[in-house]
Amino acid sequence: MRGYVDPDDVSTETVQILKPDGTLVPDHGFDIDLKEEDLREIYRVMILTRRVDQESTNLQRQGELGVYTPALGQEGAQIGAAYALEPQDWVFPSYRELGFAMLRGVQPSHILHLFRGTWHGGLFDYREHRIAPYAVPIATQTLHAVGFATGAKIDGANTVVITCFGDGATSEGDFHEACNFAGVWKSPVVFFCQNNQYAISVPLSKQTAAPTIAVKALGYGFPGVRVDGNDVLASYVVTREAVRRARRGGGATLIEAVTYRRGPHSTADDPTRYRSNEELKQWEALDPIARFEKYLEAEGVLTPEFKEQADAEGKEAAAKLRREIVGAGPLDPNLLFEHVYAERSPILEAQFEDFKRDQEDR
Amino acid sequence: MSARDFKLPDLGEGLTEAEIVQWLVKEGDTIELNQPIVEVETEKALVEIPSPFAGTVEKIFGDVGERVAVGSTIITVETSDDAPKTGRKEVLVGYGPEEGASKRRKNRKIGRREDEAPDQPEQPARALATPPVRKLARDLGVDIDSVNGSGKEGRVTREDVLAAADSGPKDQPAPEEAAEVISLPAQPQIRAVPDQEEERIPVRAIRRSIAEKMVKSAFTIPHVAEWLQVDATELMRLRADLQASPEAKELKISPLPVIVKALLAALRKHPLVNSSWDDETNEIVVRHAYHIGIATDTERGLLVPVVKNADHLNIFELSREISRLALSARDGKIGPSDLTGSTVTITNVGSFGMESGTPIINYPEAAILAPGVIAKRPWVVDGQIAVRDVMTLALSFDHRVLDGAEAGRFLRYLGDLIEKPARLFGVL
Amino acid sequence: MATITLAQGLNEALRYCMQRDDRVVVLGEDVGKAGGVFRITDKLQQEFGEQRVIDTPLAESGIMGAGIGLAIYGFKPVCEMQFDGFTYPAFEQITSHLAKYRSRTMGKLPLSVVVRIPYGGGIGAVEHHSESLEAYFTHTPGLKVVTPSTPSDAFALLVEAIEDPDPVIFLEPKRRYWIREDVELPVANGDRRKARIVREGTDVTILTYGPSVRTVEDAAEEAAKDGVACEVIDLRWLNPLDIDTIMTSVRKTGRAVVVSEAPVTGSFSGELAARIAEDDFLSLNAPVIRVGGYDIPYPPAKVEDLYLPDLDRVLDAVDAVLNY
Repeated sequence: MRGYVDPDDVSTETVQILKPDGTLVPDHGFDIDLKEEDLREIYRVMILTRRVDQESTNLQRQGELGVYTPALGQEGAQIGAAYALEPQDWVFPSYRELGFAMLRGVQPSHILHLFRGTWHGGLFDYREHRIAPYAVPIATQTLHAVGFATGAKIDGANTVVITCFGDGATSEGDFHEACNFAGVWKSPVVFFCQNNQYAISVPLSKQTAAPTIAVKALGYGFPGVRVDGNDVLASYVVTREAVRRARRGGGATLIEAVTYRRGPHSTADDPTRYRSNEELKQWEALDPIARFEKYLEAEGVLTPEFKEQADAEGKEAAAKLRREIVGAGPLDPNLLFEHVYAERSPILEAQFEDFKRDQEDR
Repeated sequence: MSARDFKLPDLGEGLTEAEIVQWLVKEGDTIELNQPIVEVETEKALVEIPSPFAGTVEKIFGDVGERVAVGSTIITVETSDDAPKTGRKEVLVGYGPEEGASKRRKNRKIGRREDEAPDQPEQPARALATPPVRKLARDLGVDIDSVNGSGKEGRVTREDVLAAADSGPKDQPAPEEAAEVISLPAQPQIRAVPDQEEERIPVRAIRRSIAEKMVKSAFTIPHVAEWLQVDATELMRLRADLQASPEAKELKISPLPVIVKALLAALRKHPLVNSSWDDETNEIVVRHAYHIGIATDTERGLLVPVVKNADHLNIFELSREISRLALSARDGKIGPSDLTGSTVTITNVGSFGMESGTPIINYPEAAILAPGVIAKRPWVVDGQIAVRDVMTLALSFDHRVLDGAEAGRFLRYLGDLIEKPARLFGVL
Repeated sequence: MATITLAQGLNEALRYCMQRDDRVVVLGEDVGKAGGVFRITDKLQQEFGEQRVIDTPLAESGIMGAGIGLAIYGFKPVCEMQFDGFTYPAFEQITSHLAKYRSRTMGKLPLSVVVRIPYGGGIGAVEHHSESLEAYFTHTPGLKVVTPSTPSDAFALLVEAIEDPDPVIFLEPKRRYWIREDVELPVANGDRRKARIVREGTDVTILTYGPSVRTVEDAAEEAAKDGVACEVIDLRWLNPLDIDTIMTSVRKTGRAVVVSEAPVTGSFSGELAARIAEDDFLSLNAPVIRVGGYDIPYPPAKVEDLYLPDLDRVLDAVDAVLNY
């Protein structure tokens, strides 16, 4: 009918460059400006992320972490997107972005200390790596990202902000508010949604009636794009475009990276209660590392030596993580009273004295 | 080389146990780090647990189907790793804080600190006192800021306020003395004021607290009085004999110590008379010590000095002690320890010539005995009228503790002992 | 020397801070072009431009979250919640992030943010425009809370709040926006971290803040006619609290009354009463009595005068402590 915009009319195309069989989509039309060393670096970080992720799950099962949120299966989406950023660009993650952290050289144990109960923000240097602390309340980080990006824009700085969140987060009010602000303010921000099909046990079909997540961007006045999240090349290319757009003042983009959460939501979750083994197997066949490996080997970019080296590096990183985490003690409890404020108030100071006295009796 | 135990961790945010579903290794197997060793089922999920150690499986714990508690050892692995040092028992990540009875860490008593030396700092400009003490001071018209505090850290106590009540601030005794002796202010004199129809006597301090105690007793304890007339002739003969004996020395032996002895024997036979009704716990507290209060009239008012452990004293010792107490009471030199702790009281209404009375129980005791005046009266002896020494014994008792019959039995028994004091030899 | 209203004091303080520090930015609904529904941000956009005085979309959580992002970047945002009752959508951002960011990041990412909220009743408004929120914020570690009661304090305290390296909830007594005072601008930066002794006295200490200060001043004046000398203290900063001034006064008078509009159960007044008794029980001649709103949702305008603590309710409390 005239005058109506209809959800059935929108494009649901999913951008793909690298097929699951490891060959490129013919005439994909994208400019892949990655050199061989870039491709190897991306591969190395994907292997590293997978090994560290696996080790983290093991450590939780061994009682070294209270809980862990695995990134298994999402390495392609994360590392492809992360690779499209410039060093000065910031990341505002949720709590599953191990790939971004590994690409930016964050020490794995520094992230895991959050899950170990050592300190809420983990122990990494946010300014050094330009990654904000993990955000647990869903979608709240999207607003922080918009504020930060707007600050950069006011300053005339050449900084773009990418914020990561899942399909579930798109239901939260803060996501809507963040996109709306970003649209109105034309903030230099990229909204990177990893649609891994589930918010704990709630499937996408129960999360939104929209035909895709990408199409939601229209409501905010900026473009959206749907990409095969397990295709690291497509993830890279699409993010690169969004980042460039933001950097030249074009405003925000919403990227929907379609992928799959192969592990549980967290180590406290049991996915067998809500999804089938067949589904899992289907997505295992779409593994981002497997297809990328095939492609790189076919192109001669990935030599057996490099592959072995990447493997060894991954194992060593996992072993180092284990050494740093197992038996790691808590921080000095007196730190609890530091950093609540710039300076303690007299009342807090008195409480601190009580606290210290109490410690002596333990 | 060391044998390392692996304890079942909390696998999902607060779980307490898991059921063994399948062992994936057996004793003697060589295993690698992270090799799956067992499948367990928790409230939330089916979980495969990877080994934290590489080495040889020494022992596995838990049969298939068995529920294992978080924190209990499930496998021991002989490994080449050294055991890590354990420091403070912090919250074990993945195991939660330790469960079990919470234990007190510090060894201390709640309440008063006995070990603190009661130092006497200089009195602060504004008195330190708890709100109830402040109120007492206000009610008694005492300027609390001018009272010397004898309590902790110079605090003004209730006793300090009471002591200050009648005398001016200058008459305060030194703090050490205040702890020993209650300086009793004199009875207020009725001032002769002409041209006035009425006189108002301010009630302060001791008189006031006596009054309060009377009210409390009268309006808390259901009083019933029973009385018994006895032939005290034998008692008086015994008294004379005791007076004549060498042990009496300079003592003036009155009938009272003998009556006390008889009372002690009667209390042994009727222990409820030596008890107290406890409102708070709804219990009758039967005392097995015998501290006899002797109501004494003094210039300052009615005081009740106490003969402690009267059953340990013979008649002469009793007489001496009663005299001593009466003297200190009348001189105003008696201390609080001599004025408290009685388990039963005697009020000798006979000492001022009264035959009997309905005395008010010394709260929180269960009974008060009022021996009346011993006087010559007509009495029936062997069917004939004779002139005998006659005395009335009145007993007011707490009807919650004693009923009329029990009180009566007690009084009859006491009366028998007084009429025939020789029987005391049989029961002492 | 100028006669200014409390609202103008706030406006001048914002102008003063924005002139001296280009990191200070203002964001909120209707703050720019319209100058704010209470004109607190009047003419600031004209002077400092749209990039520094931002009319945001209608989204309180958005304002707060974006403000946090700006602060992480390095700006000093002054975020406005248009009314107390509309702060609630921003609660998650305030309690989960604003209060905790410094601690979470061990001081690496502190947030120097001011959240301005007009609060309190007495303006004949419809529902949701007369709330008292101080209990929620004083109860959240990591936040500071301050509330002015005079035009000069409005200026000085807002400057202090903006310059504070920590997040500050700045509660503005909207009922008092239009009171006037002769003030020398800029107001000298005295020690506003201390509570203000509004009136000295010896018989009873009355602690209060924000919109209730006026009411208590009037009550003290009445009491003086009966020979009762009340010491009136305007707390200003609720967190960090100036406990020294409070206790010096309570030790002097031996009696304390706390007055605020907030529903009395779970109020900040309860915290004060407990703290005073714990701090120096022996100095008290009477329990600390709280005068506050009833434990009912804020009533409709027609009967709000029956709800708000007035002169008589304050004097009743004074009588009670004097005659305890």
